[in-house]
Amino acid sequence: MMRAVLVDDEISNLENLQALLEKHCPQVNVVAMAQSVGDAVDVIGKYLPNLVFLDIQMGDKTGFDLLKLLPWRYFEVVFVTAYDQYGIQAVKFAALDYLLKPIDIEELMDAVNKAEYKLATQKQNSQLEFLLQQLKKSEKNVGKIALQMQSEIRYVTLSEIVRCEADNTYTHFILANGEKILVSKSLKEYADLLHPNGFVRTHQSHLVNPKYVKSWLKEDGGILLLMSGEKIPISRPNRNMVKLALQQL
Amino acid sequence: MSDLMIKCNFFDNIQILCKTIHLLIQTLPLLFYGFSFAIIVASLMKIKPDKMKKIILAFLNVVIMLSAANAQNGINFYRSYAAGGRLAMFVDSAAKNVYYGNIFPNQPQTFFNYLPEVNNVSVQIYFGKTERVQDYRYTILADNKPIVVNKLIETVRLKNADRGEEEIRRSATLGSFSIKDKIITILTYDIQRPQDVYKNVFYGGPIPKAKIKTLAKRFATKKGVDYSYITDPKERTNIIFTRKDDELTIVKDRSDIDYLYYTSIKDKHTNKVIFESTAWQYGGYLDEAYKLSPYIKIDKSIFKKSGDYEIIIQPLIKWDRYSDCDISSEEIEKYVTRHTLSITIDEESYTKLELFTYAAIVTFSIGFVFLVILYLTKKSNKKKLAEKEQEGSMIKLQLNSIRSQLNPHFLFNALSSIQNLINKNEIDSANKYLSKFARLTRNVLKDNERISLLQEKSLLDDYLQMEQLRFGFQYTINHSGDLDLANIEIPSMLLQPFVENAVKHGMEQKTTAGKIMIEFMKQADNLVLTVTDNGTGFDTERKYTGLGLQLSDSRVALLNRVYKENRFILVIQSSINGTKICLTLTDWL
Repeated sequence: MMRAVLVDDEISNLENLQALLEKHCPQVNVVAMAQSVGDAVDVIGKYLPNLVFLDIQMGDKTGFDLLKLLPWRYFEVVFVTAYDQYGIQAVKFAALDYLLKPIDIEELMDAVNKAEYKLATQKQNSQLEFLLQQLKKSEKNVGKIALQMQSEIRYVTLSEIVRCEADNTYTHFILANGEKILVSKSLKEYADLLHPNGFVRTHQSHLVNPKYVKSWLKEDGGILLLMSGEKIPISRPNRNMVKLALQQL
Repeated sequence: MSDLMIKCNFFDNIQILCKTIHLLIQTLPLLFYGFSFAIIVASLMKIKPDKMKKIILAFLNVVIMLSAANAQNGINFYRSYAAGGRLAMFVDSAAKNVYYGNIFPNQPQTFFNYLPEVNNVSVQIYFGKTERVQDYRYTILADNKPIVVNKLIETVRLKNADRGEEEIRRSATLGSFSIKDKIITILTYDIQRPQDVYKNVFYGGPIPKAKIKTLAKRFATKKGVDYSYITDPKERTNIIFTRKDDELTIVKDRSDIDYLYYTSIKDKHTNKVIFESTAWQYGGYLDEAYKLSPYIKIDKSIFKKSGDYEIIIQPLIKWDRYSDCDISSEEIEKYVTRHTLSITIDEESYTKLELFTYAAIVTFSIGFVFLVILYLTKKSNKKKLAEKEQEGSMIKLQLNSIRSQLNPHFLFNALSSIQNLINKNEIDSANKYLSKFARLTRNVLKDNERISLLQEKSLLDDYLQMEQLRFGFQYTINHSGDLDLANIEIPSMLLQPFVENAVKHGMEQKTTAGKIMIEFMKQADNLVLTVTDNGTGFDTERKYTGLGLQLSDSRVALLNRVYKENRFILVIQSSINGTKICLTLTDWL
């Protein structure tokens, strides 16, 4: 049984989420709700929940402000937001879960299941610490990314990543030391996430860190030769975009 | 009147007398009347009695002179004139016009007698009774050659020429000369005052017309001044006065009678004389015979404006002074030299330093303009580059703007459908459709350029399920097995407008029998997307078939500009049995 605290500045959102959890997620017991960051600090200190549903934007404060105020963060967080806005990128880098309003019941059940799994397998929520560190830096200057593996979280420096390769809805990360990490998210998601950091989608199955590109081979309409000697195909629709991205280096 | 009389000097008296005599001779029968007339006139003019006597005495004197001269050398001396100073002259009857006793500025001791047409002249000298005749010397030159030099006037030759009481005058003949085309010059002086030489000129030849030898313009230089010359100018000379020019010099040909010539300058525009001079200077200009040529200097400032001016050089003989002379203006004009100066006052001319400064300024300006042009060109090039770069993003923006135009009709109908579910208390369904609606809307708001085929499939699912709430049709979304739906990307919202059209035109009339089939297929390297319906179809030539399709047309055109390596081919087949839309993305895979 998970003890959950819900934090949102709008009462209707709180009531809605509470109703959905009661109906669809019987393993969650909502122990308290808070409508402001101040209230939430008190409530969390009092009830010591292991699951917090946290709205990102609350008036002039954010859910991140709440996390910074808490000395004790041994709980899982599911962020809730109305629209992709401030901070969502950091949440994604930290591989934390988030829900979009209006809440989709299936996504909610999914998020609860994941949280339950994590609580059972992980002792400490290092992702929250990581998130707070990320937030101190500017969004483009993210040094690391959290990779959710089967049973652990890996924090990988972006410059270590040579390339990513799609394997259906999974993604392989190939690091500079030759290590391979398999993550259960699609390449598309990482392509979007890492695009601001210069990573180039050369092909439907390939995302490349331009740092490790040696040259552009013109054979077969275009192939990137990496420093490791690997050859990465460039698909026609992506050719212009790859050219532009490499020129900007 | 008395003032006037006092001013009259001895020579003037002589001249008046001579004129009187002249009249008397010409009208001898009227002599008496004339004499009486003279007295009457004199009395009318209230001339003082003693002066009057003097005049009468002089008159008688001339009459005696006349009779004496007539006896000389058998020449028929016809008229007598005052020749200036102590001298008088008798001329023969050939003489028509005699311009006697001319005097000139700065020449107080020179008397000039112009005697054209006169053949012979006899010259007398007169002395007062008490004057020391023995102190006088005379010299006669014929055409500058001395005939008589410093000769004493023998007292034996003197004859009393006066019967008056107070002053008895004596005269002697200095000689008779053939004057035709000759110049006789008689110099007289008193040995007590040898510096006072009197000069009487009897000019028989025609007075030559003055000739302008040179026009010189003086200008300032760095070291001082310099001149520019125009020698032997023709009738007209163009002169430009610049700021550094200051004066104009007119050099005349030299003659023995330079003093005779008088120079004036007339403004042709106003016809006013702006300059007059009788003072010739010497020094600096030599003629061919190494003799000094006369010149005058004219300050530039007299020329106030640009325009035509006339230099007039003419003998200073007051032609109209002689009432008994008859000379036409045409004849007078023969003695006059005229020269036109076309003056241009160019104050805008510059010194070398100024020229250099202006040249530097102009050079700088041109250079500056050049730099500006260079800068602008570079800027425009940069702008062009930026524009090219921007074009891509512009197209993307346009794509976005087209993409975000999800049919409002659909949006609000979808909300209405969800409201209906809520009212029917179908809470789970309401939640489900609300989530679908949210995802669709979110996707429209996002400016994702591309989405995966998987995302496209789920969006179309969401959309069609929303529409299924309104229309009872069936749909399928199929794909060939070798397509990696999760990783193949297509421009987002690519198929939605076609699907919307299929729903609208194909399904609205039908109810449950309607079918929509969507397929993602791989054909070699091409990705082929089709939307097929079994609706009533529409005329593919008509372009008004809904906002969705129109946008699709322009969207395909835009996509072809973004993805130059690939071709987007849109084929629409429509019949009574339904419509098939086939969009091929060539070389996409």
